[in-house]
Amino acid sequence: MTEDMDARIAEFLAEPPAAPDEAFVERVNRSVLAERKIVAAQAALWRRFAVESLGSLGIVAAFYLLWRMSPDDLSIDQLTVAPVLAASMVLFLWFGVQLKPAAAGK
Amino acid sequence: MDEDLALARAAASGDAAAFARLVRTHEAAIRRFLTRLAGHSADDLAQEAFLRAWRLAGTFKGSGSYKSWLMGIAWTQFLASRRSDKRRAEREGQWKPEAAPPSPDRRIDIQRALSVLGERERAAALLCFGEGCSHSEAAAIMDIPLGSLKSIVARARSALAAQLETAND
Repeated sequence: MTEDMDARIAEFLAEPPAAPDEAFVERVNRSVLAERKIVAAQAALWRRFAVESLGSLGIVAAFYLLWRMSPDDLSIDQLTVAPVLAASMVLFLWFGVQLKPAAAGK
Repeated sequence: MDEDLALARAAASGDAAAFARLVRTHEAAIRRFLTRLAGHSADDLAQEAFLRAWRLAGTFKGSGSYKSWLMGIAWTQFLASRRSDKRRAEREGQWKPEAAPPSPDRRIDIQRALSVLGERERAAALLCFGEGCSHSEAAAIMDIPLGSLKSIVARARSALAAQLETAND
C-alpha cells in the first residue's frame, strides 16, 4: 500500500529528462572563473603585503642597528663592516619589495 | 559515480573544465529540486550552490554520491536564503512565503500539491520520491537524524496522498 502510494507520488513528481542547459552551465562557469581570478588576486595582494611588511620591518631594523652601533662602540674593522652590512640588507630588502610583487603579477 | 569522483578531484585541484562537466551533469537535478523548493529564485540559488561547491571542492571525499553532496549544499543554501529573506522582510514588516512561479499546467499542479507541505516535508518528499534518494541519503543531505527524516517523509506522504486523491476526484 505504502509502496504503491510512493510509486504514485514518484510518478507525479517525475519530470522527463532534459538536455543540459548550456546557458546555465556557461553562467556558472563564468562565475567560477571570476572567483578563481579574485582568489588569485587576493593571494597576490596578501603576498605583496607580507613581503612589503617584512621589507619595511627590515629597513627599520637596519636603521636601528645603525643607530645602536655608533662609531664609539665599534673597532675600526667593524666600522667598515657594519654600514656595508646594513646597506646590503637595505638593498636586498628593496629588491625583495620591488621585484617579488612584480613576479607575482603586480 | 567514479567519473564524478575523478572530476571532483580534478575540480578540487583547480580544474574549472572538470567542474563545468560536473555542473552539466547535475544542474538539472539541482535546479529541479530548488525550483520546487524556492520558486523564482531557484536559478540564482543553484548558481550560488554550484559556486559554493567549487569553493568546497576539496572537502568532497567520495563517501556518498556527488549528486547527494551537491543536494546538501543546495539545501543549506536554500535555508540560508530563506533565513535572510525572512529577516529582511521582517525588518520591513512584510514577510510572506514566495508564491509559486508561473509555469505550465502540470508544474502548477505539482507546485500546488507541494505548497501544502512545510519546507522540510517538501524537501524530504522531493529527495525521496522525486530524486530517488534513500532515506539515509536524504537524512545526510538535510543533516537530520534518520528517524526524524522517516517521520517527515511519512507526513509528506500522507499530505501528498490526500492531494492526489483530491486531484483524482
